[in-house]
Amino acid sequence: MAKLKIRDKKVKIAITKDKKKKDKADPEAVPELPAEYSSPTRDEEHSDSRDVSQSSDSERSCEINEVEENDLHHPAEESDSSEDEVAPRNTIGDVPLEWYKDEEHIGYDIAGRKIKKHARKDKIESFLAGVDDSKNWRKIYDEYNDEEVELTKKEMKLIKRLLQGSTPHTEVDPYAPYVDWFDWEDKGHPLSNAPEPKRRFIPSKWEHKKVVKYIRAIRKGWIKFEKPEEEPRHYLLWGDDSTSAESKRQGLKYIPAPKPKLAGHEESYNPSLEYIPTQEEINSYQLMYEEDRPKFIPKRYESLRNVPAYENALKEGFDRCLDLYLCPRTRKKRINIDPESLKPKLPSRKDLKPYPSKCYLEYLGHSGPVKSVSVEISGQWLASGSTDGTIRLWEVETGRCLKVWEVGQPVNHVAWNPLPQLPILAASAGHDVLLLDTGLGDAEEQHRITELLHVEESASTDDRDLVSWAREEMYGGIRLKHTKAVANVEWHRKGDYFTTFSRDTKAVLLHQLSKKQTHNPFKKLRGLAVSAVFHPTRSIFFISTKNHIRIYDLLKSKLINKLETGLQEVSSVAVHPGGDNLIVGSKEGKMCWFDMDLSSRPYKILKTHPKDITNVAFHRSYPLFASSSEDCTAYVFHGMVYSDLNQNPLIVPLEILRGHASSKYGGVLDCKFHPRQPWLFTAGADSVIKLYCH
Amino acid sequence: MPKHYRPPGKKKEGTAATFITRTKAVRNLQVTLPHFRKLCILKGVFPREPKKKIHGSEKTYYHVKDINFLMHEPLRGKLWDIKAYKKKIKKARGKKNKDMVERLLDCQPTYKLDRLVLERYPTFVDALRDLDDCLTMVHLFATLPAMESEHIQVDRIHNCRRLSHEWQAYISRTHSLRRTFISVKGIYYQAEVEGQKITWLTPHALQQVVTDDVDFNVMLTFLEFYETLLGFVNFKLYHSINVKYPPILDPRLEALADELYALCRYIATGSRTLSGNSQSGISSESEQTGNKKMNSESEESEVRLAQLQHQLPANERGALMNMMEDVNGADEEDQDTKECKSLFKDFKFFLSREVPRESLLFIIPAFGGLVSWEGDGAPFMETDEDVTHQIVDRPSLGRKFLSREYVQPQWIFDCINARIILPTEQYLLGRVPPPHLSPFVDNEAEGYVPEYAETIKRLQAAARRQVLPLPGLDPMDFSDPGSLLAEGIIDRAEANEAAEQRQKLLKLEQQYHDELKMELQGVTFSAVASKGNSQIPPAGDVEVEEGASKALDQVAEDELNLSKVSMSRRQRGLMEAIQIGKERKRNKIELLKERRKNSEANRKG
Repeated sequence: MAKLKIRDKKVKIAITKDKKKKDKADPEAVPELPAEYSSPTRDEEHSDSRDVSQSSDSERSCEINEVEENDLHHPAEESDSSEDEVAPRNTIGDVPLEWYKDEEHIGYDIAGRKIKKHARKDKIESFLAGVDDSKNWRKIYDEYNDEEVELTKKEMKLIKRLLQGSTPHTEVDPYAPYVDWFDWEDKGHPLSNAPEPKRRFIPSKWEHKKVVKYIRAIRKGWIKFEKPEEEPRHYLLWGDDSTSAESKRQGLKYIPAPKPKLAGHEESYNPSLEYIPTQEEINSYQLMYEEDRPKFIPKRYESLRNVPAYENALKEGFDRCLDLYLCPRTRKKRINIDPESLKPKLPSRKDLKPYPSKCYLEYLGHSGPVKSVSVEISGQWLASGSTDGTIRLWEVETGRCLKVWEVGQPVNHVAWNPLPQLPILAASAGHDVLLLDTGLGDAEEQHRITELLHVEESASTDDRDLVSWAREEMYGGIRLKHTKAVANVEWHRKGDYFTTFSRDTKAVLLHQLSKKQTHNPFKKLRGLAVSAVFHPTRSIFFISTKNHIRIYDLLKSKLINKLETGLQEVSSVAVHPGGDNLIVGSKEGKMCWFDMDLSSRPYKILKTHPKDITNVAFHRSYPLFASSSEDCTAYVFHGMVYSDLNQNPLIVPLEILRGHASSKYGGVLDCKFHPRQPWLFTAGADSVIKLYCH
Repeated sequence: MPKHYRPPGKKKEGTAATFITRTKAVRNLQVTLPHFRKLCILKGVFPREPKKKIHGSEKTYYHVKDINFLMHEPLRGKLWDIKAYKKKIKKARGKKNKDMVERLLDCQPTYKLDRLVLERYPTFVDALRDLDDCLTMVHLFATLPAMESEHIQVDRIHNCRRLSHEWQAYISRTHSLRRTFISVKGIYYQAEVEGQKITWLTPHALQQVVTDDVDFNVMLTFLEFYETLLGFVNFKLYHSINVKYPPILDPRLEALADELYALCRYIATGSRTLSGNSQSGISSESEQTGNKKMNSESEESEVRLAQLQHQLPANERGALMNMMEDVNGADEEDQDTKECKSLFKDFKFFLSREVPRESLLFIIPAFGGLVSWEGDGAPFMETDEDVTHQIVDRPSLGRKFLSREYVQPQWIFDCINARIILPTEQYLLGRVPPPHLSPFVDNEAEGYVPEYAETIKRLQAAARRQVLPLPGLDPMDFSDPGSLLAEGIIDRAEANEAAEQRQKLLKLEQQYHDELKMELQGVTFSAVASKGNSQIPPAGDVEVEEGASKALDQVAEDELNLSKVSMSRRQRGLMEAIQIGKERKRNKIELLKERRKNSEANRKG
């Protein structure tokens, strides 16, 4: 049914189409119509309408032809709206017809020709015609097209049905079962059947609000459409520089960045040949630490065209930037001083004369390193002990060897009795300490010495004793047998007491020569003793351990003071003849001067020797002191101590004494001053004793 | 109550109060670290070194006053604004609001650094003093490629190029270039502007190596400031020679990438017109209006001129000669400038394709020469008969003109440094040129004079018609008065003065000679001083007589050791440092001498 309906409409379309194609369409095509299409109803229609107008009939047949063809090609795609498609013969459109009331034509056809009005029949004539014609009731006058239309039977039926209120076509089944062409289940979006809402047809409130907002923003200048006018980018920024108020920089004082270093010869693209390192040198750079490595290796190019782009250009630029904004800037005074000006202002050495400066005499005879020398208090005799097992006695002025004692053991230390009337020599050799009669002095003195050096054999048999006093058979004198090797022997100023200690035990022994007795008063000594010295005037005793120097009062037998040297290992100590100052030599080559009135810490530390200091010595009368070291040198200093307590001691280095050859046993092993003259004796490991005079 | 009340327990004085760490500073300023960096760079704020680093030695410290200085900087607010604006754009982009994005992008907030330039450099001389880094950086960026990935925009590169050319044009025009040096890193130039020596480095005109260990953000921030600074400096400089800035260039030459040449022409013509205008007499009262008028007038004339130049054939010689001749203001030039101006006065150069054109186009006019090159827009052609020198850098050349000399580019640079016209034999085509020496090194202070430096010195002396003693003479020979007399008179013009000086010199020489003799005999100066004449050589002193020099060394060392003993530790350290420095320097010189000896031996052998 639906199809039929559509076909009907097609007919109407086709009419209009055919009107256009009137001349093109061939009227002869009618008889060739396929039989199936000429349905009986149509034939009827045709026959009915034939008398109305021949031409229209022929048109229609053509139309049908066309329609059917169209129908073949597009069966169901035509629209449903039927009204517009029947294009009227008249083309004036929907205008009031009374406009054409007085005209001769009713309008225009599609080609623009006037359509003439039919001659108007008067009422009687038309009535009569109506009466005669039995089909008159079917005829309707079409005002628009100015023609009479005769309704067909079918049309009549249609009208009748419409008037009845049923469907115009009988074929239409209004109650046909509903076919849901759309499968709802699978599709994601339902087509809404809802009616178009009202809001679709009225302007949006929110849009309006937004527009208002924009308008306001534009009015108030929040939204700007044109860019601001560009001012000239550059102008005269610095006027005349004379205005001093403005030409002051604000803020902190400006520290300009240091300028980069200017390029030297080596940076040239074509430097002189001497600036180019050899391949070996370049290779050796690899062995250097990274920070020591040269940053830039000069290279030579034969011509300018060969020079490549510098690969670090950007990097260096960037580094410079970093330096500029990340490096703290401080003003540093560039020290461009003469190193001479750094030297302290000291009194001229010329004014400090005399002091030993030149080697005057050499005492040759020892065959091993001379460990120790000692000068007799009168200054006439010199004793020396060596590791070759001999003790020699020399005459100072001539260098003559007066006497040789063959001890048999390496001699560590020799010391003269400080009393001029008792020329006794104490020497430490191995485990023993020998007190030797030198045979100097007149007969009376000799007598006293032999008396002093007399020991009863029985007295020294006790095993509990630390030391056994025995007679020395070979040379006459006393042999003190210790349990351990004795390192040092020092006499008390009065010549009765002497002290010995060993490097292996903590015991520091005090011996009394007149009574042949031995004490061990310092029981609580911490660490091994390195040196032990008597005070030159008072009954005070100095014991040095590795780091500290302890000062004991011998009468009260208690600790008075402790000096902190701050040194790593003390090797020797010497006391100023005044008694208030002390020098300490250390194995790291430093020498400390202590002013005991001042502090228990060093008054001055002198970094003198590159190697161990073996011994330090004060002169008895001259303001001189000296140090000897393993580096084969001896330093002589001027060390003036003032009686005024407010004045610090004056220390001036005077001379470096050289001359000793170095050997595997060390350099200079001992140094001693002459008691009267400003002379210095040095004992070397090269088995030579030297005398330095002024 | 004290003026600045400090609550108890809050210890804030001294170093703790005057220096704050970077983190604290950033927090106080309420900016991000990149913004802080930017502020520091633009304001020229740098960390300080407090005497005592309270919050740890690894931290960076800023002076509180510096931070307060940043705090009151309007730029800080601008940076905030920009940040907020960027957020706006981002938000709009997120909402796909294209119109808004476009609109926002169209008028982004910007900031200007003019005030900062003036603040950092209150006077023009200050700016010139700090211009080294600026110029080096701008010249570096002028050779860099634009990189979108690193946010290096094309227009910035172009701006750098323009600024560098403007600067070079000024220097070239005022003949204030003093020294040049081709190094491996690039070409160094030193100019003297208003009494300030300004040195900068331009990279070789080649594709630069772009490494990734560089933070371009920092560099670009620096560049931002430097561009502004150089722009204003150029303005001031152009103003001082009566040329309008920014210059309007001949578009044709610009298209041919001959901006420098275009600028030179511009300056020449511009100064002519403007000076003409100013000479016409504008009273000081109506200067402002007059200036304005003049500006507009000159602008018109500039445009016309540019058009005119455009129409003119580029190798029209008349215009160029005019430009060169029309150098005004000769009265205010100093001796140095005059010398520089007339160095290449009589020469006409032609540059081959392979030589660094930009550099030579800058240098040769700066020293008064005429120069042309191979290519469009060149003022004269290669076939020009008057060309005296052609700068080539290739092993051989097919066709040669007999009227001109074919020299390598190094000749120009060496001539400039020596300030004389050097003989060209060594620099001729195809030869290996003599070593190129740095003009920035004081050879005497350094203690080592390269061979070629001596040659140049002799040539310079010859150019001044002076006779210098031959180099390489022993001091002993030199001290001989006879030989000195035989060498000739030092200054012929002022005979009597010279004679006096010579007398003095001779006296000193004699003294030195005597001292040397004494030293050789084994007497040190100190010994002489301390012991005087009453010195008796001791009998036991064998060593001194063995080798005088050895003993002398020993004595000197002893002297040093003794003085060291009595020094304080601090002074000793200082002294040792000085000695180490001297030793190092000496070693370096020794090494150079040894290498030179070796190379000479190689050459002979």
